[in-house]
Amino acid sequence: MATAFKMVEPLEYYRRFLKENCRPDGRELGEFRATTVNIGSITTADGSALVKLGNTTVVCGVKAELAAPAVDSANKGYIVPNVELPSLCSTKFRSGPPGEEAQAASQFIADVIENSQIIAKEDLCIANGKLAWVLYCDIICLDYDGNILDASAFALLAALKNVQLPSVTINEETGLSEVNLKQKNPLVIRKHPVATSFAIFDDTLLIVDPTAEEEDLASGTVTVVTDEEGRLCSVHKPGGSPLTGDKLQDCITRAITRHKEVKKLIDKVIKSIKPK
Amino acid sequence: MAAAEACVGQVVLPGDVLLLPAHPDEDGERLRLGGGAAPRGRLLCGPGLRRCAAGLLVTKCGLLRHRQTGGGAAAGGAYWVDSQQKRYVPVKGDHVIGVVTAKAGDVFKLDVGGSEQASLSYLAFEGATKRNRPNVQVGDLIYGQFLVANKDMEPEMVCIDSSGRSNGMGIIGQDGFLIKVSLGLIRKLLAPKSEIIQELSQLYPFELVLGMNGRIWVKAKTVQQTLIIVNILEACEYMTAEQRKQALAKFSGN
Amino acid sequence: MAGEKEKVVAAAGGCCLRPFSCEQGLLSRPDGSAAFLQGDTSVLAGLYGPAEVKGSKELPDRAVLEVLLRPKVGLPGVIERSREQLLRQTCEAVVLGVLHPRTAITLVLQVLSDAGSLLSCCINAACMGLLDAGLPLSSLFCGVTCALDPNGAIILDPTTRQEQEARAILTFAIDSPERKVLMTTTKGSCSVEEGPCFPP
Repeated sequence: MATAFKMVEPLEYYRRFLKENCRPDGRELGEFRATTVNIGSITTADGSALVKLGNTTVVCGVKAELAAPAVDSANKGYIVPNVELPSLCSTKFRSGPPGEEAQAASQFIADVIENSQIIAKEDLCIANGKLAWVLYCDIICLDYDGNILDASAFALLAALKNVQLPSVTINEETGLSEVNLKQKNPLVIRKHPVATSFAIFDDTLLIVDPTAEEEDLASGTVTVVTDEEGRLCSVHKPGGSPLTGDKLQDCITRAITRHKEVKKLIDKVIKSIKPK
Repeated sequence: MAAAEACVGQVVLPGDVLLLPAHPDEDGERLRLGGGAAPRGRLLCGPGLRRCAAGLLVTKCGLLRHRQTGGGAAAGGAYWVDSQQKRYVPVKGDHVIGVVTAKAGDVFKLDVGGSEQASLSYLAFEGATKRNRPNVQVGDLIYGQFLVANKDMEPEMVCIDSSGRSNGMGIIGQDGFLIKVSLGLIRKLLAPKSEIIQELSQLYPFELVLGMNGRIWVKAKTVQQTLIIVNILEACEYMTAEQRKQALAKFSGN
Repeated sequence: MAGEKEKVVAAAGGCCLRPFSCEQGLLSRPDGSAAFLQGDTSVLAGLYGPAEVKGSKELPDRAVLEVLLRPKVGLPGVIERSREQLLRQTCEAVVLGVLHPRTAITLVLQVLSDAGSLLSCCINAACMGLLDAGLPLSSLFCGVTCALDPNGAIILDPTTRQEQEARAILTFAIDSPERKVLMTTTKGSCSVEEGPCFPP
């Protein structure tokens, strides 16, 4: 009976649950799905992480390459993020060139990197004007069940924390670079941005960490990115139903608490792999 | 928020909420959309307005108009927004000019300027039978009226009225000239005793067909005369009444 | 309405907007058009619809909204795509698409010149274009860009130079009846206390 009701009137079905302050999957409105993170999942990458938010699975691999820095910013390296939503992860997507959602997600991740200064690009420079690191951050979704932005941002942060770059020196005589693969250094992570997404139901109700089903039924989404000092790195609300300033403030408060949870989790995971 | 009566004749913008005059309770809060005769004292919510919890929500930009229906109670009457628009959306009962784009079996497909092509049965002409088919070719102009027009269905046109008479509808003859104007101008031209039409008719005789979809077909004695009428009509879009009179005076002097 | 032109210099709490102006109905082919100027930034919007749907995008219960953002030079890239998404979802919240199911509404925005606050100018041009086309809207909206300069002062409607110097740039779309936030996007970081230059 319930399944039939859900199929015919999905929105009404959700409203009945939301009225009782819970969701069909048993969560409260402000509750995240179980979050798991696995760091260093891809051994061939310079840094990698796999993040699961309930069923949403995202893997991020960081590949470091050497290149000459741009002329106008000689002391800076590059970070090139890319989000892929392959046809494998959901029926919503087709194979071929990236769709609008994938491009928008890529731009969002690029904005988060730029806004939060997660890594100072100066740190990636090896020799001024001659040599710098390029970090290709490929984020691939394996299973799409909503809230791709939170999962991607989390996977990116975890993968960057996992990056070990070999030390590079420039031979004064020959002018060639020498890579010492034995000596590896971690990246300096300056900030820890964490994204928190909300779906807006019926113009007023805010629910945290929406699933794909909830995203489809919702009338809008908001994503707030904060760093450990509680500064806002991004407040991203791509249209959808209007919200009052007070509601946005609630979102920010919830995002700050979420940041603490994520930070605790990531520290625990990193500590657990360190001793080896 | 303002009371609906106070805003009549003024410019309203989307998002404005108009408060309704107090209702006599026995009428309830019932509301009918669109045309048709309304019973006494009932409120009609015309184009550009929608019912919302607080009253009437304006959805288009333009002048708010009001008309009493059947001299009923003060609370009744029809409200609508007189807006300017270029794209036509089919409305049941509207008389429009369509261009035949295809003949598919026993229906014709007509381009009326809406989002979808309208269909017209070959039997929907005066005197048409299974044997006596009307002679309609692709590219012909047809003046007809909408029998079915709603957002969920393909619009359907007919060229006969309810008693089976053509009543002026049907294929528009050869020659002549078809122009497109905005829907606001068409409504102005179609208004009873339209000044523009009356002034034009004093120049020289001509035939004119006005479609609610913004299309006008004109034919005068010579091609030159036709083009003069066409140019004046097109220019009416941007001319004030004063400018128009001056322009017309120039021609009538000749 | 057509060709209506207005010039206002608004002073709000010491913050000045650059002079802005708008012209509607200036293109003959589209169903609605508008040019919006904010200082030296200008965007031209052309709107088609409700028209026939091309391809398989047709939705059975509402109109499909498509936004195309053309940069001044070159082809649209990832930034344009992400802005198209912002603009599309902002317009979707306001346009009553349920009244025209199985149709397409296409909004084309052409950047004519960019001298700062481009996204808010696009939002304003889109709104004026929708209005000119006579599409059913549940409300109007406007776009505004604020920049936080290094001293923490708020600059409204910044120019390109002010944008480069700013610590953070926040762009909002606000709806007309209740001044709620339809869209926000930020660049750079700011503290929570500074954030609520969130609408009054």
